Amino acid sequence: MKAGELLARLTGGTLLLSLYLFLYAPIAYVIYVSFQKDLNWPFPPSWTLAHYAALGADQTYREGLWNSILLGVGSAVICTAVATMGSIAVLKYRSRWRALMVVIFLCPLFVADLLVGISNLLFNRQILNLPGNMGSAMIGNAVHCTSFAFLIMLAQLSRYDWRLDDAAMVFGARPLRCFFEVTLPLIWPAMLGAFLVSFILAFNNLEISFYNLGAIPTLPTIAWGSLRFGLGGELFALAALVNGVVLGAFVVMYLLMRYRIVSFGHRE
Amino acid sequence: MATEIASARGQLSPEARFLLLALPGALFVVAFLILPMLSILVFSFWRTESYNLIPEWNLGNYAILFTTPTYMTFLLRSVLTAVAVSVVALIYSWPIAYFMAKHGGRYRLLLSLGVAAPFFTGVILRITGIQGIMGPVGLINMGLMNFGLPPISFLMYTPTAAAIGIAYLFIPFMVTAIYLSLLNFDFELLEVAKINGAKAWRAFFEVTLPLNWIGTIIGLVLVFVPALGDSITARFLGGPNAASFGQVLSLQFGETGTWALGSAMGVVLFLVSSFVIFLMWRSVNLRRSGFTGREG
Repeated sequence: MKAGELLARLTGGTLLLSLYLFLYAPIAYVIYVSFQKDLNWPFPPSWTLAHYAALGADQTYREGLWNSILLGVGSAVICTAVATMGSIAVLKYRSRWRALMVVIFLCPLFVADLLVGISNLLFNRQILNLPGNMGSAMIGNAVHCTSFAFLIMLAQLSRYDWRLDDAAMVFGARPLRCFFEVTLPLIWPAMLGAFLVSFILAFNNLEISFYNLGAIPTLPTIAWGSLRFGLGGELFALAALVNGVVLGAFVVMYLLMRYRIVSFGHRE
Repeated sequence: MATEIASARGQLSPEARFLLLALPGALFVVAFLILPMLSILVFSFWRTESYNLIPEWNLGNYAILFTTPTYMTFLLRSVLTAVAVSVVALIYSWPIAYFMAKHGGRYRLLLSLGVAAPFFTGVILRITGIQGIMGPVGLINMGLMNFGLPPISFLMYTPTAAAIGIAYLFIPFMVTAIYLSLLNFDFELLEVAKINGAKAWRAFFEVTLPLNWIGTIIGLVLVFVPALGDSITARFLGGPNAASFGQVLSLQFGETGTWALGSAMGVVLFLVSSFVIFLMWRSVNLRRSGFTGREG
């Protein structure tokens, strides 16, 4: 019996490792290439920092990075806000509209990125007479991420004890104060999760952003536009830097968890 | 209790509070997803002339789609690829998500973010990375040839290569969906099943899987829908024999500018994915999913 459990655990762990290998091998390749003279045929290695220097000298990529961050943060704020409210509504209150609301919140899952992109493009252009702009791209990405944020909130809050809120209300707290002093301190890890996932998805979204941004460059649209002439080395360098920052953030999170400074919602 | 307090203070009823909280998000989705989708449904019955939509109602776009064999081939290929990728992703993701939820301990969040973090690198760069590793002149094939071995031909611009690329992009969604579902699964139930004499496999198929089936279905949707609508992977990894429906769809909004036909293709894509999701949803038994247990 024990041996069977150990075997299951080993298999699971090995598969998780294989997934990480599969997911990160292409990224490792991108980082490796960012240090190579020849982008298309980087073997045997001939190391250089030229792409990083070019990246520092070129304004376009900084602008793209900034726009990507703006797009990611804007979308993530919108969808975390509506998803938090929606998930609290669905979990806390009984209503005859509940099933309908859940279905509406899950609708974006059924529509591929490409369709969100082109339908918003045609809708804005044909009906609202609106050219591509940052706001439309933000909204398009936020719609797409709303379901993700909603599901993440739902999964993490489904065991939240709403009697805590009732208790606070008994002692006279108004709903808003109750939210900020009782609910928020308990649900912020879930909100952070929803925010992060939405941010990551919007930050690098290509298909929704491409059709709705007009001429505003973000990192993925720059990459798309430069394909015709071959990807610039600066893009590889920038991707390597972004991954460096992400890795740094992961190390910090690990240390915070390791020394139990912040548990990110985990209860022993 | 909350109701009594609320009414004692003359505040909103629970029904009103529910709507106050849920409506902003619902209206947001209606305005920026459902209305645009309805608008392309309308446009699919119009026609395009020199990059302009002309409101002349006709069925021509659908006639073109359903009578041109190549479009049907693209659609069929996309459906088959999406089904294959979903099934493989399902089998691969389950043990991984299970391991993360059961044995991740306090590092669970970190382990799950590790699955999402590849999205920080743009799709195009990651696909370039995949090409660099398994393309015709990539690491694997050049390595094999270095040792005098023949290259692996199915990795070279084939539908299989495109499918691997799609799986690469969307497996993280499946793992995350099952993982989130397992977070709320009470693993003690398995002990109960064991005490009552169930073998590990039987406990899995009669307790764990049914209770997490909704999460699994969500994972399947999260892989199937983008896999069916894929246009980028097929273009870069698939080569000439792997053109996908999404790829041809996006062409209508690029070079050719035939938006009405593109809209019709979008409608067909949406209907096909809705039909498959409907089939999947029919396999949900709400009573066994444990969903009803939480009601109220």
